[in-house]
Amino acid sequence: MSNSHSDTIPLRPSNSQSDIDEIRSLIDDSVHSGPAVVLPARHPATTPPPSSSPFISSNIPPPPPVSSSSSLQKLQSVPAAPPPPPPVGNSSSIVANGFGPPPNTLTEPVLDTVKRDLWRIVSNLKLVVFPNPFREDPGKALRDWDLWGPFFFIVFLGVALSWSASVKKSQVFAVAFALLAAGAVILTLNVLLLGGHIIFFQSLSLLGYCLFPLDVGALICMLKDNVVAKVIIVCLALAWSSWAAYPFMSSAVNPNRKALALYPVLLMYLSVGFLIIAID
Amino acid sequence: MDLSQPEEENYANPKTCFFHVLFKASALAFYMLSTLFADSFVIIFVITVVLAALDFWVVKNVSGRILVGLRWWNEINEQGESIWRFECLDHESLARINQKDSWLFWWTLYLNAIAWTIFGIFSLVRLEVDYLLVVGVCLSLAIANIIGFTKCRKDAKNKIQAFASRTIASRFSSTLQSAFSLV
Repeated sequence: MSNSHSDTIPLRPSNSQSDIDEIRSLIDDSVHSGPAVVLPARHPATTPPPSSSPFISSNIPPPPPVSSSSSLQKLQSVPAAPPPPPPVGNSSSIVANGFGPPPNTLTEPVLDTVKRDLWRIVSNLKLVVFPNPFREDPGKALRDWDLWGPFFFIVFLGVALSWSASVKKSQVFAVAFALLAAGAVILTLNVLLLGGHIIFFQSLSLLGYCLFPLDVGALICMLKDNVVAKVIIVCLALAWSSWAAYPFMSSAVNPNRKALALYPVLLMYLSVGFLIIAID
Repeated sequence: MDLSQPEEENYANPKTCFFHVLFKASALAFYMLSTLFADSFVIIFVITVVLAALDFWVVKNVSGRILVGLRWWNEINEQGESIWRFECLDHESLARINQKDSWLFWWTLYLNAIAWTIFGIFSLVRLEVDYLLVVGVCLSLAIANIIGFTKCRKDAKNKIQAFASRTIASRFSSTLQSAFSLV
């Protein structure tokens, strides 16, 4: 996807329409103070896009403002729009500073998408589970939620539990998976019904990511079989998980109802902890 | 699926079509033939669900883009509201999309969901709750993609109509302007 190169392509049909387009695009350029991006895709973005780290490693021109769809449509008259699937090496991965329109994700190469998604999982994990400065505003913590991380963690926990079990392996797995998945959904509904302000998928994502400490605990318990050690490890993992989930959940509801929202979360993690300890 | 049919319009992206179908088919096939492969339910579950998840990712991020030029995702804006974003190619590129590609895309999407529904009915009838879980997960992934892409396509149609009417209006105004400049 060429950005500034397209401006110098002299293949323009000369008629009044393209003259007006040129003038309009020049005006738009000066207003937006950025390179005219030739995007073959149109975005319905009429609101300022959020600080979206999904687009961190994609091709966004440096100070990208809100691009109204009309200016993009005018740019389409430039016959330099590449055909739909050009897996050309778009190696100019300019880091997004969080503002601006989403990039042209329609024509990016597949590897970019993979890297972007993987990076998003890692960054979400770091935001949620490890201490970081964003904890004061937990609503921001999982702005670009994704469900891949939670999916992996739940499956991993199920597999770890099932591995440690000597009998009824399949039931253990099914129970663990169903418990965690249904539990996350129910907990989110609980917060919503308590009048809290939370976004469904964001909360599912958060509850899934907070399983990471329990995953680590389960892995260690798989390797060591001493009951006392297991109890200690699970308690630590539990404390870490609850600490990770607490700010998000508590900020989403009314202060009077904080306990009502938090208690089920702690209960669910506690039950998972018991599962880990009790499996042998 | 014969990729090299000598018709007038061949598949424009055979590799993408292949991958689009591969994961769906292997998830369904693995589920059906699972008893031949492994006794352990855990392995069946994990492999089937992983294949279904891979298929979801491939459809959403790769074949949706390449075969039909559509993309959808969800963002949360500064005010903390969730918005669904739909992205589509512009009008000319959309018109250039291979018909066979797009036919394959949509039909495999629907058939996949129908197949999982049938499996779900079977396992419901046989009261196998474990397998119902597998089917439930795969079905929800399939339905999510169907809903996302259908909404995206409707959005694209709306945008094309809006673009067309706006183009007509701007052409009209430019003709007027050039007419007045001559006067």
